[in-house]
Amino acid sequence: MLKDTGEEEPTSLEEIAMLSMEFGRILMESGASARIVDEIVCGTASRLGAERVDLRVGYASLEITIGIGGEGITRMRKVGPIGVNQRLDHEVRLLAARVASSAASACAAREELTRLVRQTPRYPGWLIDVSVGLACAAFGRLLGVDWMAVGPVFVSASIGQAFRRGLARRQVNVFIAATLVAFVAAALSGLWARWLGSRTVDTAMTAAVLLLVPGVPSLNAQNDILEGRPTLGSARAVWVAVTLVFLTVGVWLGQLLLGEGRP
Amino acid sequence: MIDTAQLLHHTACGGVAAIGFGVLFNIGPRALLWCGASGALALAVRTTGLQLGWSLEAASFSAALAVGSAVQILQERIGVSRNTLDVAGCIPMVPGGFAAKAILGLFALTASSPQAPDQTLLQSVGGALRVMFTIGAMGTGLAIPSLLLRVRRSR
Repeated sequence: MLKDTGEEEPTSLEEIAMLSMEFGRILMESGASARIVDEIVCGTASRLGAERVDLRVGYASLEITIGIGGEGITRMRKVGPIGVNQRLDHEVRLLAARVASSAASACAAREELTRLVRQTPRYPGWLIDVSVGLACAAFGRLLGVDWMAVGPVFVSASIGQAFRRGLARRQVNVFIAATLVAFVAAALSGLWARWLGSRTVDTAMTAAVLLLVPGVPSLNAQNDILEGRPTLGSARAVWVAVTLVFLTVGVWLGQLLLGEGRP
Repeated sequence: MIDTAQLLHHTACGGVAAIGFGVLFNIGPRALLWCGASGALALAVRTTGLQLGWSLEAASFSAALAVGSAVQILQERIGVSRNTLDVAGCIPMVPGGFAAKAILGLFALTASSPQAPDQTLLQSVGGALRVMFTIGAMGTGLAIPSLLLRVRRSR
């Protein structure tokens, strides 16, 4: 819970800038679009006492300039790897709304933000793996995979997701990880589907790697461009394109292994 | 002519795919059901459009517009963030399979003696354009309801 500490002293410019950008950093890393980041950061800074706020949302950093009266400062904050965590994103937005309504101190808001990052629940790893497997099997049916290949797609995508989590824990580069996961999932799916007599081996290999398709960044890229932030949108689009190329290399290697590809 | 069995099948697959990716994106348990509904709605509209002979881009645009509009109407009642429902609903329509096939086709062109290079190039470029236009159509379909609502609020 947010507590108003009843501090009489006004919040310093430094604290306003850094706390506002902490909201923005967490939202960016949770997969929010630039408009949301802009609204929350500028709104929080204003509610904490800033009279002028200018924010630049970049792909890897945030820069803010705030001012009160005749004084002003500019600060920059690095943004870490961008992922998707909708529950944290939602909680941070609710916290920003509570900061606005309860007039809590910056100190209390920072404590609450730290607690949210530490304690926002996540699903257990096995459940994520199974869910992703089911999603890819459903994707497979939408792409025209026959029923013989649905099981292989489900199991291979689940194994691929478990492998991806393992690589992320070891902090393997995301693009290299995409190739490795795509290779494992596509090869397993193709081998098993062929063994079961499926006539859609090629599509089954593609369906098993759809867990790697960066859907949220591609929609965010489009949103950012439509909402007047072409630089960030372009950066996201380039990241999506490079991920797709690395993913495809993994599928291609899998096809070569099974004799389905053309060297 | 609408093939009801295929429509129901695609609707169910859209719902399952949206819920599956909802878990990956750490969407809360209560919101997961709404994500499933959002994905099912998207695939129902897209499949209907495709069965009526629309292009993939037009069907995807209509589906995204339907999801975006439904989310705008229901969002405050169900208490789930708009972005969450938009994204989860449209994820099953992201043409990742087409993108992978287009890039694989381009890889095939770099072989020392590619087979039917003209046809491969045409298929790859066609696939890549289809991916770009489909994602563009989805993003635009999702953005229109929220942009219109913002204009109304600002008046």
